[in-house]
Amino acid sequence: MTTPIRALPRGAEEGVDAAPLGALAYASEDGSLAVYNDYEVGRSVIGPPPDFAGLRTVAETWRRSSKAGVSRPGGPADPIDGYGVFTFPYGPISMGVPESGKFEVRTYGERILGLSPVAGFKSRRILSSVVGSTIPDAALRIERLAGNFSAAHTAAFLAAAESAEGRPVAREELWIRALGQELQRIYNHVHVLARIAEAAAQNVGAAQSHALAEDLLRLQGSVFGHRWLFGAFLPGGPRRATDREAREKLAARLVPLARTFSDLWELFLGSRTFVDRIQSTCVVPRTVALQWGAVGPTLRACGVDWDDRLRVPTVPYNDLFLDLPNESDGDALARLLVRAHEVRASFLLLEQLLDRWPSGTDGDEPPAANVGPERGLGRVESPSGDLVYDVYVKDGRVAGIGMRSASQANFPVFARGLRDGVFTDFHFAWESFGIVFAEVDA
Amino acid sequence: MPSWIGQALRTGIRTTPYPERPASEEEVPATGRPPVRTTPDPPSADVISSCPSGAIVSSGVDQGKCIRCARCLPGGFAFRGPVEAATGSRSELLQDAPLAAVGRVLDALPPLGGFARSLHVFLVDAGSCNSCNLEVMALSNPLYDSQRLGVFFTNSPRHADALLVVGVPTDEMVPSLRRAYEALPDPKVVIAVGACPISGGVFAGTPGLATSLDDLLPVDIYVPGCPPTPVQILDGILRSVGRGRPREVP
Amino acid sequence: MSNDVLAVLLVVAVATFFLGAALSIIRRSLGYLAALVGSVLLLFTAVVVLLGGPVSSPTWTGPLGEPESLSMDSLSAFFALAASIVWIATSVYSIFYDDRRSPMLAISYCLTVGSIALLVNASSEVLFLIGWETMTLASYGMILQARGAAERVSSAAFVFLAFGEASTLFVILAVAGLRVGTGSFLFGAHLGPGSLATIVFVAALIGFGLKMGIAPFHMSEWLPIAHSSAPSNASAVLSSTLTLAGAYGLFRMVSLLNSPPLWWGAVMLGIGAISALLGALFAAVSEHTKGLPAYSTIENNGLILVALGVALLSRSDGLEELFVFALFAALYQALAHAVAKTGLFLSAGYVEHTSHTFDLNAVDGRVKGTSRAQLLGTVAATLSLAAGPPLAGFVSEWMVLEALFQSYRFSQSWVQFVGLLAGAAVALAAGLILVAMVKFVGFSVLWRPRGGPPGNGAPGLGTVVGGVGATVVAIGVLAPWILQFLAPTASAFAGYSVAAPVGGLLSVPQGWSILSGSPFGILSPPMIPLALAIGSLVGLGYYALGRHRPRRRAAQWMAGSAPGLDGETYTSFGYSTGIRIMMGSVLGTREVRSDVGSVSVAGVDSVEPYSVDLEVFDSFKLFYAALVRLGNGISDVLKVWIMPGRLGRYLAYVLVVVLAVVIYIAAAY
Repeated sequence: MTTPIRALPRGAEEGVDAAPLGALAYASEDGSLAVYNDYEVGRSVIGPPPDFAGLRTVAETWRRSSKAGVSRPGGPADPIDGYGVFTFPYGPISMGVPESGKFEVRTYGERILGLSPVAGFKSRRILSSVVGSTIPDAALRIERLAGNFSAAHTAAFLAAAESAEGRPVAREELWIRALGQELQRIYNHVHVLARIAEAAAQNVGAAQSHALAEDLLRLQGSVFGHRWLFGAFLPGGPRRATDREAREKLAARLVPLARTFSDLWELFLGSRTFVDRIQSTCVVPRTVALQWGAVGPTLRACGVDWDDRLRVPTVPYNDLFLDLPNESDGDALARLLVRAHEVRASFLLLEQLLDRWPSGTDGDEPPAANVGPERGLGRVESPSGDLVYDVYVKDGRVAGIGMRSASQANFPVFARGLRDGVFTDFHFAWESFGIVFAEVDA
Repeated sequence: MPSWIGQALRTGIRTTPYPERPASEEEVPATGRPPVRTTPDPPSADVISSCPSGAIVSSGVDQGKCIRCARCLPGGFAFRGPVEAATGSRSELLQDAPLAAVGRVLDALPPLGGFARSLHVFLVDAGSCNSCNLEVMALSNPLYDSQRLGVFFTNSPRHADALLVVGVPTDEMVPSLRRAYEALPDPKVVIAVGACPISGGVFAGTPGLATSLDDLLPVDIYVPGCPPTPVQILDGILRSVGRGRPREVP
Repeated sequence: MSNDVLAVLLVVAVATFFLGAALSIIRRSLGYLAALVGSVLLLFTAVVVLLGGPVSSPTWTGPLGEPESLSMDSLSAFFALAASIVWIATSVYSIFYDDRRSPMLAISYCLTVGSIALLVNASSEVLFLIGWETMTLASYGMILQARGAAERVSSAAFVFLAFGEASTLFVILAVAGLRVGTGSFLFGAHLGPGSLATIVFVAALIGFGLKMGIAPFHMSEWLPIAHSSAPSNASAVLSSTLTLAGAYGLFRMVSLLNSPPLWWGAVMLGIGAISALLGALFAAVSEHTKGLPAYSTIENNGLILVALGVALLSRSDGLEELFVFALFAALYQALAHAVAKTGLFLSAGYVEHTSHTFDLNAVDGRVKGTSRAQLLGTVAATLSLAAGPPLAGFVSEWMVLEALFQSYRFSQSWVQFVGLLAGAAVALAAGLILVAMVKFVGFSVLWRPRGGPPGNGAPGLGTVVGGVGATVVAIGVLAPWILQFLAPTASAFAGYSVAAPVGGLLSVPQGWSILSGSPFGILSPPMIPLALAIGSLVGLGYYALGRHRPRRRAAQWMAGSAPGLDGETYTSFGYSTGIRIMMGSVLGTREVRSDVGSVSVAGVDSVEPYSVDLEVFDSFKLFYAALVRLGNGISDVLKVWIMPGRLGRYLAYVLVVVLAVVIYIAAAY
């Protein structure tokens, strides 16, 4: 640790643009390990936590204080009172939100005065149940922690396990993991676009985007044998089409998909009603994003430059060209713009990956350095942001595990950002964050 | 000048001809079809123990437990089962012979015989990984378009005839799940989609999760898979009103 | 029935009210009983007059030397009929309701009712004025009986009195104009067109409009009732019959003015439409069980003015059929409103008795299940005011809208345009009042959250409310016959014999349908329940045969959460917040944030507001506040200027006046 990390002054007023700084990305349950992202320098620092009281984020505190089950983090909804103000329970089976999760909305009618999220409904106790399993068996569950982010979760978990064991990995495997992650990233971003278009009643645009998303799923199915990449990175999984012929076919198939996305995006941006609807919706101020620990497109929409692919150098990303512009408005439009940039960048990355595919004689890649005896850290940029896995491995079995997903970080930010919004803004805000309850509850 | 109309005309009609025509290979990837035994010999103990969810039994594969991890393939299995794998009872999911050919069309379930052209479905996520959710939601996209078959998704259980459950029911979701079931007016059916509600899938045996949706609600249709592809889910929904495609002998 | 007996009955009826005031000193229920007897006698007399002909008591000489008598012609008879139906209900209600130790409420109640009876049956304008002023003073007394903070009650009552005196002032002006123009105080004397007639019309419109709660004077209606929380029987009498008295006065005076110019009707139409819209809008965002009906009164009186305006316009334009139809619409609207509003206020009184609150957000379902009669009566009354078929309010709203739809018949395009705008305003008002009524009945009577405690009912009060509801249904279903019954009233107003706009068409028997024009529209109120009954036979038969599935009760669906336990359900306030925000510019909506402080959320400090209130604001209050400031300012200036306290100035005044008198007398001779 050479560069000191400056913290946001305690009690800083919102709206005042504090000096750039860092945020706590992950802190283990037993307090033995912490990961900070230094946004100013653009580097991540790992180590036992010094006194970092000023760097605590809401996200981290919330994550560690909530338990499996119906948890209720201390949200800002509680103290708000007034004539006719009541708490409206939205969920857990609310059709506006595809999964099961609950929101307690403090309102006097149309306005959201405060939003208190209640998570834990989908807790399948995955993290506690993988302890004691072999790595491949544990990976089967990690894959199914969040189906649409399965590539990210599996890649992060395997990276952490390999780092803990000190086991080298074949280069081709790393390329395959990157291939899967980028394909899923494009799918997820297109899906977000489709959902926002649906909410804005842009029915033609939504239908076109859904069709594009389905095409991407079918592509993943034909390349990896499974539409959601289950088993794709594991030994003994479904056969993967990664020989030269299959790669050329894949590259050819990607070209029209990229063009379709470009066309759709241009049409969407040209639609005044669409842009109007998401502009200034659910604005997250920069200081809130920093103080509350936002990650991913949410963070980059507030002008903070952080992407794990650039800041946490791993193979193969460290060798590839990746240009990710940021936005600064922090509203739903900005988050969508960031996603569109990422899609373009991902198509470019896929081209590069397929072009520079490692041959069989390239040998193995050494794993990342472990962070403790038999303990490894895996970090990837999932479609919704920075994902951290902290794994202890003993004799080929998982001896302990900790995880901080992007949705866990962005969830409180969403609740905070939607304050003073109206009910009708809810779905635009929700979809623009890309939060998956499955990975919030784990 | 770019326009949505131009874009729509260029795209054309892309709706799948399923169920009039069989599902294409694009719609059902390799792991979409259920695994079946390729040799007549019963599986060895090693093969049986290689299945992480205990789906392999001496008489074949319990499709309700299979999570499509492909570990059994070297032991004499292949993903060659029929695409239309939905059944009306739990026991039917056990295939007791290689390449079992059950060619009959499932009769329309007595309560919903008259709903063939207009079935309203309510989706409940009882604790899924989100992939089954997205596959069910894919039925509304133009490539599958469930509405042309008279299958509509509703926002309230009060308007629904069928309850579609995805995910393994967690303890926290059981009360809400029950309330949703109570809120559906009679006649109604329950459709379990995916390995998770049928048997717990890869999470079977975890404390705090239900063993099976069967223990909580009377299930009428079982759609195996992890996750089942949209055409398979569509097949399961259509079976509840007697419109499913006849199961093929591959 | 011989004329003499009838005349005696009339005098006895009116006198009984005043007797009741005296009896109340002995025992309150005696006073209310006397009021009940008087109401019944008055009702009987009115019915006989409508069937037979006018009746008049012997005359005596009044204070200004004019002949006075109590005479009821068909116009008075209608208003007496409507008022006495209301009073029968409120008197019975009061017997159960009034549990105060002091008899003041009973006394002022009887005096109010008696003075209204007096002015409705007055033969000359002087007696009318006497009744008018007595009514104002007696009502003031009634409002003062409210239970609440003394400061608030007395200031609200004072506002009422101030507006009431202003009303009397303008009515006196109108009477004076009539006297000058016709040379008589009697109500039979007509005045020809001219600038004097215009003065009389404007003064009458303002004077009676003040009493009816027409914009921009609507504060007189809602403030005393809502802010002072006047006792329920008083509120019912105030809202229903005081405004009925105002309507009577307007009808009477306008009937005395011959050949009205076109712009009179247009002004009435415009003011009525604006009042209807404003009343409905404020009703939709009101949270007070009394304030909401008070605003609804403003809306309904606006509708009466609208109908009367169309009638006048048609008369000026020579459209006889539309004139007759609009006239009947105005009369029927007055009747429907009087009865339904009574039901609403009595129901509010029941709600207050059972749940001890006037706040719709605080009732919490304590009223549900305590009285079936009250529930049905409230539903009928609110549905009627929301224009739900086949109730009285539905018929009257239909008639008013039909009259407005026929604006195209007017010869002048600007009149058509005014009719068009008024129609749009009335339609919007109808929509908004539906929100208000659903809110009222839903949150006060129909809804109980799971586990809410029921209150103690009051059977007597509940039965009265049920009776009023039944009356509302009857008036609605029997509308064609009631209209035929009211033909003499319309004739009395028009000055010549008119027939009710009823007929039969499309195999509906003759006299069962209301025709709004020939040809234009048709409505058959009695056919609606008949059709519903026949149509239900199929369903009922199916049910009786036992072919249906066994019934199953299921809990309310709240997205999977437990109703009543996991969080709260929508409050009455939240129900109409959409309107508060959408119509924010008219309502003056603003959000007030207070108690902002620093909150520690999961270890991170943030700045949060504690208290957020969304408030609406009657901008007309600003108008009156400005008026008061202006008046005070002028009087301050004048006070200092005219009366500086200097002896020399006062002596100068005396000198000037003496000189002026001398010059005047010298010039006169």
